[in-house]
Amino acid sequence: MSFISLEFIFFFCICFFAYYLVGRSYQKYVLLLSSCVFIGYHQLSFLLVAMGVTLFSYIAARHIEKARNQKYFTTRYVASVGMIVLFWIMDRYAGTLSGSKFFLFSLGISFYSFQAISYLTEVYWGEEKAERSLPDYMLYMLFFMKFLSGPIERPGSLLPQLKNLRPATYEMMTYGLKLIAVGLIKKIVLADQIAPYISGIFDAPHAASGVELIMACMLYPVELYADFSGYTDMALGGALMFGLHLSPNFNRPFVAQSTADLWRRWHMSLSYWVRDYVYLPLSSATRHWKQKGLIFSLLLTFVALGVWHGSGWTFVIYGLIQGLVIVYEVKARNFRDWLKRVLGHNLFATWSILCTYVIFALSLIFFRCDTISDAFYFIRHLSFTNYTNCKDVNLGMSDHICIVSGVALFLVLVYEFFMSRGDLLKRLERQPAVVRWSVYYLIVFTIFIYGKFGANNFIYLQF
Amino acid sequence: METSEIIESLNLIFRKVLKRENIVLAEDSTARDVPGWDSLTNMILISEIEKNYQIHFSFREIVKFKHVGDLCRSIIEKQE
Repeated sequence: MSFISLEFIFFFCICFFAYYLVGRSYQKYVLLLSSCVFIGYHQLSFLLVAMGVTLFSYIAARHIEKARNQKYFTTRYVASVGMIVLFWIMDRYAGTLSGSKFFLFSLGISFYSFQAISYLTEVYWGEEKAERSLPDYMLYMLFFMKFLSGPIERPGSLLPQLKNLRPATYEMMTYGLKLIAVGLIKKIVLADQIAPYISGIFDAPHAASGVELIMACMLYPVELYADFSGYTDMALGGALMFGLHLSPNFNRPFVAQSTADLWRRWHMSLSYWVRDYVYLPLSSATRHWKQKGLIFSLLLTFVALGVWHGSGWTFVIYGLIQGLVIVYEVKARNFRDWLKRVLGHNLFATWSILCTYVIFALSLIFFRCDTISDAFYFIRHLSFTNYTNCKDVNLGMSDHICIVSGVALFLVLVYEFFMSRGDLLKRLERQPAVVRWSVYYLIVFTIFIYGKFGANNFIYLQF
Repeated sequence: METSEIIESLNLIFRKVLKRENIVLAEDSTARDVPGWDSLTNMILISEIEKNYQIHFSFREIVKFKHVGDLCRSIIEKQE
């Protein structure tokens, strides 16, 4: 049940009305039941697996907390996290290795497993108490608006909200609806319009010209961003309508001036997760190795981040590239400072933004290609001089699609620029009714006239 | 040892590790106020501080430092 489907709209409306019709003490049970229906609707086994991980981590946290001494404490923590990681790896690789269709990769498992590890680690560190209420914890793990592709929530951020559910205010509901509309524009007016043309090139790079390879490579980050941030906006907006604040996942990643900066702005709930639970403990343990410890921790962290996205060496290389570029940035700090003085602030910023984008786009070739040999073929054949005709530049898209997706991208970038300078959606609320409703109608007409309906899948569902 | 004395020596360590001569720390300085001080350089700084004062911070102590003042207080406690 994708967010962009009639089934989901129907399902969401029933949950929404049931949530506000029942008494306050039953609201969490409405959300919990809805979440179970949502997950089980995809496949019953997905619900069983999610319930299994949830119950296991709930019981494990209680045991960790009850441990009598430090030795038991650490053993229980390591064993519990180890079991979840092992289970995640088995679930991830069972289908790939056996080649059997019997083993299905459980939807959302990468996201809720990371939430479970985050929870167990916080309990182990003494930052959180083991949760007493099973329904609250189940909702933390299974809440349907973030189940499929995150954001990966921390216990300290979501559990207190679930323990004290408050109905959404009128402002929260309208803000949530606006976020959903923005997400829809990103997804169906931008991402889904250009996706088939980019996929065509990545799925058959051998049949594409050099210019087409360059254009697909440069446009893929835009597609990925519009798809995933569109999903996140809808998740945040939908949750807000139940009075729940989820964590943001993106903060204008395409203005990042370095790859390290990009990862503070791109899929933030995942990058902060790996920073806090992988990179910081690793770099702390290896800090006496000085620079070598830093490099080791960075590379291992980013390889882990790459592997989180999928099985196969392509994802290892994708992560390794991110790590190596950040290591270079750390080592070349003085050179970058010198370059900034020579070029001036504005020119240096523009140059850095362009370099960061191009490096990220090139690394995504490994993320998107099915095999390493495809990825290397893709890179070797990137060329401005190898083309069939001028239509190669727009990957065969019609003029209509070029204009629609180009304008949508421009509007998304402008929207995010103004959002960074104060909340544009809240400013819109303060405008006269005529202005507000004109904008609302414009958005609705844009979605219905220029949106591409029918492509229901989000890229990050596969992770 | 006074906080001001510790801050003086921290200034020298930060300048050496971050290779910036103009760093002047205060008790309420955070990573946001000091160019180059981020999660990538933090552990190298901590390692230099530990070496300088012959002390050891645990991982949980390190991640709980909110600003330079917290770091100074921890150094003073460990030296006592």
